[in-house]
Amino acid sequence: MKTIKYFLVLAFVSSFYFGVQAQPQKLVFSPHWMPQAQFAGYYVAEEMGFYKDAGLDVEILHPSASVNAMQFLQSGQADIISLFLVSGLDNRFNGVDLVNIAQFSHNSALMFVAKKTSNINSLKDFNGKKIGIWRSGFEEIPKALINEHQLDVSWVPILSTVNLFLLDGIDIMTVMWYNEYNQIYLSGLNEDELSTFFLSDYGYNTPEDGLYVLQNTLNEKKDALQAFVEASIKGWQYAEKNRDFTLDIVIERMRQANVPSNKAHQQWMLDKVLELLNPIGETALENEEFDQVHSVLKNQYPEKPDVLFEDFFRPVR
Amino acid sequence: MKRNTLSFRIIINVLLITASLFVLILSVYYIYARKTISEASKVYAIQLAENMEARIEQELQPLEKLPQMLSATIEMGFFHEDSLVQVLQTIVQNNPSVYGASMAFEPYFFDHKGLYFMPYAYRASDSIFTTYLGSNTYEYFYMDWYQIPAMLRKPYWSEPYYDEGGGNILMATYAVPVYSRRDNKRVFSGITTIDISLDKLTDLVSSISIFETGYAFMITRNGVAVTHPDKSMIMNKSIFSNAEDWGMPVLRQIGRELLRGESNFRSYNLRGKEKRWIYYTNLNSTRWSIAVVYPEHEMYASLTKMNRLVMLLIFAGLLFLVLLITKIVNRLASPLVKFAEAARLIAKGNFETPLPEVKTKDEMLELRQAFMQMQVQLTQYIENLKQTTADKEKIESELRIASEIQLSMIPHSFPPFPDLPQVDLFASLKSAKEVGGDLYDFFLIDNDKFCFAIGDVSGKGVPASLFMAVTRTLLRSIADKYNTPDDIMKVLNKSLAINNDSCMFVTFFLGILHLKTGELFYTNAGHNPPLYIGGNGQTKFMEMGTSIPLGLNEEYAYTCLNTQMQQGDKIFAYTDGVSEAENASLELFGEKRLYDCIAKHHNANTREIIGIMNNEIEQHVDGYMQSDDITMLTVVYNGQKREN
Repeated sequence: MKTIKYFLVLAFVSSFYFGVQAQPQKLVFSPHWMPQAQFAGYYVAEEMGFYKDAGLDVEILHPSASVNAMQFLQSGQADIISLFLVSGLDNRFNGVDLVNIAQFSHNSALMFVAKKTSNINSLKDFNGKKIGIWRSGFEEIPKALINEHQLDVSWVPILSTVNLFLLDGIDIMTVMWYNEYNQIYLSGLNEDELSTFFLSDYGYNTPEDGLYVLQNTLNEKKDALQAFVEASIKGWQYAEKNRDFTLDIVIERMRQANVPSNKAHQQWMLDKVLELLNPIGETALENEEFDQVHSVLKNQYPEKPDVLFEDFFRPVR
Repeated sequence: MKRNTLSFRIIINVLLITASLFVLILSVYYIYARKTISEASKVYAIQLAENMEARIEQELQPLEKLPQMLSATIEMGFFHEDSLVQVLQTIVQNNPSVYGASMAFEPYFFDHKGLYFMPYAYRASDSIFTTYLGSNTYEYFYMDWYQIPAMLRKPYWSEPYYDEGGGNILMATYAVPVYSRRDNKRVFSGITTIDISLDKLTDLVSSISIFETGYAFMITRNGVAVTHPDKSMIMNKSIFSNAEDWGMPVLRQIGRELLRGESNFRSYNLRGKEKRWIYYTNLNSTRWSIAVVYPEHEMYASLTKMNRLVMLLIFAGLLFLVLLITKIVNRLASPLVKFAEAARLIAKGNFETPLPEVKTKDEMLELRQAFMQMQVQLTQYIENLKQTTADKEKIESELRIASEIQLSMIPHSFPPFPDLPQVDLFASLKSAKEVGGDLYDFFLIDNDKFCFAIGDVSGKGVPASLFMAVTRTLLRSIADKYNTPDDIMKVLNKSLAINNDSCMFVTFFLGILHLKTGELFYTNAGHNPPLYIGGNGQTKFMEMGTSIPLGLNEEYAYTCLNTQMQQGDKIFAYTDGVSEAENASLELFGEKRLYDCIAKHHNANTREIIGIMNNEIEQHVDGYMQSDDITMLTVVYNGQKREN
């Protein structure tokens, strides 16, 4: 009886002690797009208290129409951002001192879509066609593929919607499988009315979502970053097993951010993103993956010095 | 009410027929009404949608003219680029529906203006402001409102959007390509736009209602809801995403038809349950679509309500009908019950039973008259019957007495002559129902001569019985005076034949046995030949020759036959009541069976033989009514030895 009493007193006192010690570390994470199921794992980790359990106080800061995640990182408003590998490396080429601390995705969701009515059935048919491509910064890979095949196409920069494609302003649209492809479907075009070209089928299965920090942040907050990556993996694993729950969280976040949302689209996105992330927790960037993207960008910046894999990928776990 | 009463049956029949008729009429009416309502609803829904469409177009078309006019005037070179912002301001000022107007030029269209040149006038806080847009954070060239009309070289209605910072107003932009004359060429120069609030349109669409919960909605070219009773749908969900979320491919089908600019009126089941009707059509200007939807059951709500009332009325009507018919039928049929009661009393013999009063002059009155007639006739008939029965009973009683007298004339004590061991005799006469004419007799003429006879008078009844009595009486009186059977028969025949006006006759067998010698003298008058049963067991019908019955011809000469009887020889005599005894199948007992039976039991004594024969006859007739007297007589000669 006495022992239990002492134990309780000890536990009470120590809770104060550790409470003072474990002051949660503040981290700001900025995904590279508006709220959507692409970032579900981070929302779940926050919602389920995985970050809190890891001693972190994480704020998720979404970019807006005027400010992107990169700007948040550079201005110091965000500690961690998510970027496609090609964007991360592009920034590095352009002198931003950022490093990849975890490569979550090892698959490419990039694809070209054309309406079957335009008779585009193979890459050869791309000749002389207009291809829509986002202005937001990962056009390098699609362009690399088209260049490799020496196709004569005209690129039409697009901000975000698929409307120009739907109205036949362009013949081909570059889309993400988990996002715009389904938007096209949800605008009334059936899958059998579309020709699809997955870049992964043409040797460009380039990794996409990864986490980036400034070199300084890595030096200062390595433990916290490791905790963030671990907790985020936990979030993704939980999301994979609890999709309905996850979907509700995603929709709620979109609603709060006044972003148009519908369940059908987010469900599609969550399923596809989880498929692309599989196996979850495999966060090491492979040398070969890096090399392919590096060589694509090197073509663009022949004069710039090479980025070394060891300098670029600095895993925290 | 008892199930087998007349009123029950009438009510059930009337009820069934009436109810069936009601159901039939109601069904026909219901089907017809449904069809009419369905068609009327369709017309109504289409009209609603088309009115709505016309009003929306009425709103939009004048607005479309603004950038078109502006575009045309710019092309004609009326405005200097620096005055454009005032022109735009005037447009916004003069058109309350317009929230903003712009003229966005192609990159470096005016060298001195740089990459971007986009004068813009907009309404905010009840004032009109002007500004120049375009920067590296507002690269308008890549925005849908610019890029799409620029590439398609066609005016373009943008997808609706929420105006950021503009009080969450749902807006849409109408964009028109602008051209200029440069070096005598028509070159594409940029896009002129107006931003309009969709509030008026959405209010218009939202105000439409049909039936109880039917509504109208508007969707964009991409299928996204612009108006919907469920606010969470607006700008979030599309007809295609709902098709996925609700597992309703039909919505996708409708959406695709709308994309193709088709209009249609059709039904679908909302999430596999409620059936709904929808009419949808495309707006010419924006290519957005409007639809009118209503649940089927609401369309028929008034009909269902009315049906319920009609059913209630029919039910009440049928109930009233039942009560009415019960009352009427009971009133009409009540005398029947009384008649039945009266008939039961009459059947018990109370012919004076009063009949129920009938006031109507219908079949019931006829029934009463028939009953009255029946009462009268029954009374008369019963009176007659009583008289007849009394008479009959009197006659029957007299006949019974006659029969008793007749039977009493015949000797009944057996053995008849215990002191006379040479001969033994047993006889029986079983009368039929009526008094018959059979007879037998035996007596001693003197110490040596034993006389026995059997006969059968023609016909039946009292005359036969009287004739028989006469025959027997005559026989007794004559037998004393003559020694031989033929003499006796001659006299007897003569006596009977004289004054026999009724032509009656009697078949007769008469035998005289000389006790000392065993010699038998006998004469037959048309009677069945008796059986001779020898002591050695040999049995045969006795030789008779031909003869006629007594009483027919007074001069007829009967012959005498004789035979020597040995000790133990027997004679079995009988009337035709034996050989002609009938069973239910009208089969006669027959002389063959008679012969066989006697031959089989030749050793039996006189009493036993008659007993056996009686059994045999009973077996044959098997309870069938006896129609003639059955008379049998057996004589045995015991011979002289017994004397010692």
